[in-house]
Amino acid sequence: MRLSDREQDGVVILSPKGKIMGGPDASLLHDKLYEYIEQNKKRVVIDLAQVDWMNSTGLGILISGYTTLRNSDGELKLANVTEKIQSLLTITKLVTVFEAYDSIEEAVQSFK
Amino acid sequence: MKNPTISGNTIIIPSSHDFLTDVDVFVEGILNGYRIDESVIADIAISVSELVNNAISHGNAMLRDKTVTVTVSKKGDDISITISDQGGGFDPGEIADPLAEENLMKDTGRGFFIVRSLMNDVDIKTTDDGTSITITKSLK
Repeated sequence: MRLSDREQDGVVILSPKGKIMGGPDASLLHDKLYEYIEQNKKRVVIDLAQVDWMNSTGLGILISGYTTLRNSDGELKLANVTEKIQSLLTITKLVTVFEAYDSIEEAVQSFK
Repeated sequence: MKNPTISGNTIIIPSSHDFLTDVDVFVEGILNGYRIDESVIADIAISVSELVNNAISHGNAMLRDKTVTVTVSKKGDDISITISDQGGGFDPGEIADPLAEENLMKDTGRGFFIVRSLMNDVDIKTTDDGTSITITKSLK
């Protein structure tokens, strides 16, 4: 998995690429997310457009980040959720937890 | 064992998450050879990754001198993959329901549920000497 990150209109955008299955790769996303949270950047979009698939480790990172941000008046939202990940969010009922948008732009705008 | 070893349709890895990608490349490589739909390959790959994660962390307790063995087979329209560890076994009945309200926001505990959701059959053989789980996906 590779990861790119940037900020747009005060919103952190994290774009992982590949598969999120655990191990060192998954730590990369977790560590970058918490690096921003520690910098008090509390509005985060995870762009999933280029994620082939993720397993429960990936879902766990999303939930952990979501909870940490909510507890400090921040928010984590999803963008470009692929069909495969949408299916996982549905069967685990996490689809009821995350706000998801069809594009990064829409996700960023939703914070305004 | 320090590195993965491959023999035919079997890969054996030391108990470290560093080798998850090796298992994935190995398994998806075989499945691609069967010309299976990409979405089905992803379902199988996700399930294998869940069970290998469990075998490393819970089964073998991250002890690198213990190994995890993954074997892929195809019989007719069924793809079966067996994941075996050298741990002390577990009680499948003790796995918590990740959909229960009190568990929904936990960041762990969904792996086995996801495997059961994606696969047609999950067969667990667990003893004090290790656990062997065979997952089957029907291509029909």
